[in-house]
Amino acid sequence: MIRDYYNRNALDEKLRGAPRPPGVNHLAIGHRQAVAMVLAVAGEEDSVESLLSSATDFAVRFSAPGEWLVVSENDTPEGLQRRLNALCSGRAHIVDQSEARVLFRLSGPATRRILAKGIGLDLHPTALATGASANALCGHISVNLARTGEDTFELIAPRSLAQSLFDDLMTMGREYDLTAAFAA
Amino acid sequence: MASLITCPHCGVRPKEEFAIRGDASLVRPAPTASDEAWHDYVYVRTNPRGRTLEHWQHVAGCRRFLVVERDTFTHDVHSVTDGAAFARENGR
Ligand SMILES: [Zn+2]
Repeated sequence: MIRDYYNRNALDEKLRGAPRPPGVNHLAIGHRQAVAMVLAVAGEEDSVESLLSSATDFAVRFSAPGEWLVVSENDTPEGLQRRLNALCSGRAHIVDQSEARVLFRLSGPATRRILAKGIGLDLHPTALATGASANALCGHISVNLARTGEDTFELIAPRSLAQSLFDDLMTMGREYDLTAAFAA
Repeated sequence: MASLITCPHCGVRPKEEFAIRGDASLVRPAPTASDEAWHDYVYVRTNPRGRTLEHWQHVAGCRRFLVVERDTFTHDVHSVTDGAAFARENGR
C-alpha cells in the first residue's frame, strides 16, 4: 500500500531548506509516528482505560470519555493498529490516524507564555500536571494538548489544519525567538 | 454571558469552546400528541430573566452535550452536568 500522506509530512513545504540550529524555545514537528484513536464500546470505558494505561511503550492521550489518542514512536501504523486490537480484544474500536494528524512538540522556558496566547486553559502545573492531556482550542483550531514535562507540551492537530496551526504557533512564539524543525 | 464553563470531563474552559444548543428543559411530546403540543415544542420559547437550563456542546473539547444551569441576569453558572447523566437522573 502506498503511504503517500504518511511519508509526506503536511509541513514539508513550510520547513523546506536547511534547518537552523534549535533555539532555547523550539517547536519540533513529529515525523512518522503512529497515531491511533481508541473508542471504547459502551460500558467498557473503564476496562479499556486500565488496559491502555497498563501498556508503557506508547503514550495515551485523553480526548473524551471513552475516547483516547495513542501515540507511538516505535510502531508502524499497521503495527500499532494490530497491537491495540490485540490489547483491547473487542472492547474498543481502533482507528488509525497516522496520516490524519500532525504532532507538534513545543519546548523551552517560554512555552507556557507562548501557548497562553492561543489556549484558554490554566497551564500551571497544579492545574495541568505532567502527563495530563485534553482536547482544547488553540486560536480557532481544535487540538489535543498534552503536558509531557514541566516546560514541554505536545499538540496533535488535524493534518488539514497543520499549516495554519504552524503559522499561528510561530507568530505566538516570535517574541521568544521560537525556532522550528522536524524532530530528529 | 457566562464566560467560563466547568466541563465535567475537561475542567474549566472558555465559552468559545462551546456551542449553545438551546433550551434543555423541554420534553419531547409523544408522537401522537396534538399538533399544538408539537408546535409549542418545536417553535415556542420563553426568554427568561434568571435561571435557565441549556444544552451546551463542548465542540472543541470532549464534544459531549452538557446541561448548563445558568442565570441570564447575574451570569452565574450554577451547575454543569453531562447530558447523558442529566437524562438518566431525570428519567428521560
Ligand atoms: Zn468537555
